[in-house]
Amino acid sequence: MSQLAPLLPMHRVNVLTGTRTARMVEDPTEYAKQILKAQRPLLVLGPQLMRITLGGRLLLEYALDIAKARNIPTCATATVKSKMVELGVTPDSVYDIVEIIHALKDPEWKGVRKEGNHDLVLFFGFRTDLGNQGLSVLKHFAPHLKTMTLCKYYYPHADFSLPNIRKDEQWKAFLEGLIENLKKE
Amino acid sequence: MAELKETNKRLEEIYHKIKAEIPWEPVGHTPMPEISDLRNWDMKLLQTYKPWYAPFCDLCCFCTFGKCDLTEDRRGACGIDISTQQGRWILLFCLMGASAHASHAGHILEVLIERHGPEKKINLGTSVDLEAPNIRTVLGLKPETLGDLKIAIEYVYKEITHLLDSTAMGQEGSYLDYESKALHAGMLDHVAMEVADIAQIVGLNYPTSVADTPLVDLGWNSVDKTKPIICFIGHNPATSTVVVDYLRENNLYDQVEVCGVCCTALETTRYSDKAKVIGPYSRQLFYVRSGIADVIMTDEQCIRTDMPKEATKAGSALIATIDKVMYGLEDASEMPTEEIVKKMVEEKRHFAILDPKKAAEVAVKVAMAIAPQRRKEWLTEQEAQEQSKKCTLCGMCETACPNLFDIGRGVSDVAKGNFETIRELFNLCIGCGKCEEECPRNIPILKIMQVGASMETYKVRAGRGPIMDTEIRTVGAPITLGTIPGVVALVGCSAYPDIRDLAEIVDEFAKRKYIVVVSGCTSMAVGLWKDADGKTIYEKYPPVFDAGGVVNVGSCVANSHISGAAIKIANIFAALPLRANYEVMADYVLNRVGAVGIAWGVYSQKAAAIATGFNRLGVPVIFGPHSSKYRRLYLSRKEEAEWKVMDARKKQIVETEEPSPEHLAYVCETKEKAMVMIPKLCIRKNDTPQGRAIKLNHYISLYKKYMGGGLPEDLHLYVRRDPDIPLVYKKEVKAYLTQIGWKPKEPVGLPTLIGTYPTKVPVDSVIH
Repeated sequence: MSQLAPLLPMHRVNVLTGTRTARMVEDPTEYAKQILKAQRPLLVLGPQLMRITLGGRLLLEYALDIAKARNIPTCATATVKSKMVELGVTPDSVYDIVEIIHALKDPEWKGVRKEGNHDLVLFFGFRTDLGNQGLSVLKHFAPHLKTMTLCKYYYPHADFSLPNIRKDEQWKAFLEGLIENLKKE
Repeated sequence: MAELKETNKRLEEIYHKIKAEIPWEPVGHTPMPEISDLRNWDMKLLQTYKPWYAPFCDLCCFCTFGKCDLTEDRRGACGIDISTQQGRWILLFCLMGASAHASHAGHILEVLIERHGPEKKINLGTSVDLEAPNIRTVLGLKPETLGDLKIAIEYVYKEITHLLDSTAMGQEGSYLDYESKALHAGMLDHVAMEVADIAQIVGLNYPTSVADTPLVDLGWNSVDKTKPIICFIGHNPATSTVVVDYLRENNLYDQVEVCGVCCTALETTRYSDKAKVIGPYSRQLFYVRSGIADVIMTDEQCIRTDMPKEATKAGSALIATIDKVMYGLEDASEMPTEEIVKKMVEEKRHFAILDPKKAAEVAVKVAMAIAPQRRKEWLTEQEAQEQSKKCTLCGMCETACPNLFDIGRGVSDVAKGNFETIRELFNLCIGCGKCEEECPRNIPILKIMQVGASMETYKVRAGRGPIMDTEIRTVGAPITLGTIPGVVALVGCSAYPDIRDLAEIVDEFAKRKYIVVVSGCTSMAVGLWKDADGKTIYEKYPPVFDAGGVVNVGSCVANSHISGAAIKIANIFAALPLRANYEVMADYVLNRVGAVGIAWGVYSQKAAAIATGFNRLGVPVIFGPHSSKYRRLYLSRKEEAEWKVMDARKKQIVETEEPSPEHLAYVCETKEKAMVMIPKLCIRKNDTPQGRAIKLNHYISLYKKYMGGGLPEDLHLYVRRDPDIPLVYKKEVKAYLTQIGWKPKEPVGLPTLIGTYPTKVPVDSVIH
């Protein structure tokens, strides 16, 4: 029910989603722990990664560092594949966000590496409205997996989300901390 | 026995209504279909294209049992689950949309019947014999007069009531049945739209049977602000056309400017090419706040609900002309004209006037009286700079913006004398005004953004109404064989950033010799762009329904001419009877007509209804990303789904393994990805090898352009045999196919879904 719980009416209701709201996480160590706990994580890459830079680096480069740190398979949505190719990386799969979500709903799906459906899906680089709607699909119809977001906004329909971050330096520090922690373990 | 008698009685009544005795075609299996009559067709579609639900919220709060938590398989106090609740929402959206069009149709029909009488003949010109493909297909009625259109709209009203009833507490309990009902509502919407537009064409003498309709002025600066200005906002031309009549009759048309935002503007240009179009919905609040309009006349749909406040703030007079939107204003329909004018001019009051003639006279007199007293100037850069200086970059505007645009940066740049950012933001902005509402320093952000507006005059082609039968005869074969690679219909609102995306999509596909059709606010948005030679889309491409043509059918209700064109291909070109034969028409469109709708910037419930109507007819629709907020898509899973069809010639069910079309309702996040999806969604099982090679050529080339080279991951699914491979990519594609172990597939002679699900329609019905 999130930290807002004590302030909300008794009727299991919150203002953001209804009842179930993402756990807000600010500590990259905790995020890293969740990722490391997962058997078959998946990193879904959105088109905002191709247009936003952070500390002089394209956001996509941070995403690829995260994937590389733990050999996390990637799914390139929209036209992200084009930028990945430029950076010399081949995505494990190419679907649009609604398509990958549609597949993830199915517990019997074999996943992008044909090793079984994923148990933790990280979303990074989507429009907030589309991202949040997509996360709602998984929250309601994919109880077999957990979701996590890496964008600088709070996504209430995810299982784990960053808070709204106003300062890009803070976001950058989080992502770098996460990469560091993933490499360390 | 009693049941049979009841059924016969019902059929007898229907046959009477549709004048079944007139033998223009035999009556098909589903005249005036009720909720369950096309349910099996829907279920067949839903088997492949499963609903993808994205709930906004975990709860149902529809009745006093609730709020009920529907998470983790919980059911509401009435028993409803989360999927069924989403199905209920989408049905409600479709019903809101369909009833908006149905009510518009009923209103304009009533006005025009009063003017011309119910016996007024429907004549859409020498090139349109098949005047009402939707009405003929759905009802089985061939409407010959305005009075006949009443039969169609009354059928729609009745069905809407039944459908709405199913959303009440304790009714429908299956999401699939809700979806079937939503598809029914969507189909009804196309009937309603067709009634509205045929009535308007006949009763208002709009252009028909002509492609080259006038190019009319478009844009902020197209209106001469030194004259009194009347601005229409909404969708229903019942009053705007009477204003034009009044101006003509009183020789005032050169003295008063008539313009509009949204579809009434488009409708008015079909009545008078001197009328101007300011722009689509996203420009509404900007224009109203500019105060350039002396009189604002609202009718219905897509109007700001705070219009009286906004008009007062801008010093404009406001007249509400239709009872659906009265804003709590005094109804002055019975008040003497001079008294209303006096109160509007001297006391600055707004009124509802439901009598179009009186409203027209008042509007002209008020505009002429107040225009000379009003300051009507665009905000200057200097003024904007001054007003921007209060910005502290607090970021409140950014968090209020639905697109999270950094508006504060634009405003603070203006304060520094840099107008580039604000220009860019103006093109991206959907004009909701929420940023200004949140600004703690009360900075008039929308007014400041005026300096970002282009002061160029653009062009939009006046809507032409139905696609001509003669055009269908020419393009029927190349479309169904695939040698015209597809029909791309860009429809609906344009409230999506960036407004230029739409023109770029049109340009790309017209250049590639697709047939491009536009309607509604999109038809205005695509006109707001010029190429390097200074030409708009409408000046660059011919207005023909043929390869490389760009056709503006008209306003929102003219969308029925796009679905109508698809039906016409089945009926005129393939000679399949359409009368009360919906399944055969839809099956033909799904399997053989490579058409795709793009509803890129849509926000309204009407767009949900229009798109769902296209879906039932077998036309896939691509939405922009924010349309995930409609909460439902229809997606296949290409690798897992069954792609079985009946080969009607061999009477054999065949597994084609070909996902065509892959999805029915789909969301793309970016324009670039939409560019790749459009050619793919135009692929149909009926394509000839030559046609398929052309379609794949576009799919591959756009994939290479936007996806960083290589070949599409699913290309092998669309190559049936060697001749399907486009010549230009032959070597590369063959190498890829060999590498993945692709095997050729037997082509299907005459693909159909009829015969693959329970239906009264015999397979032979699809053979022409």
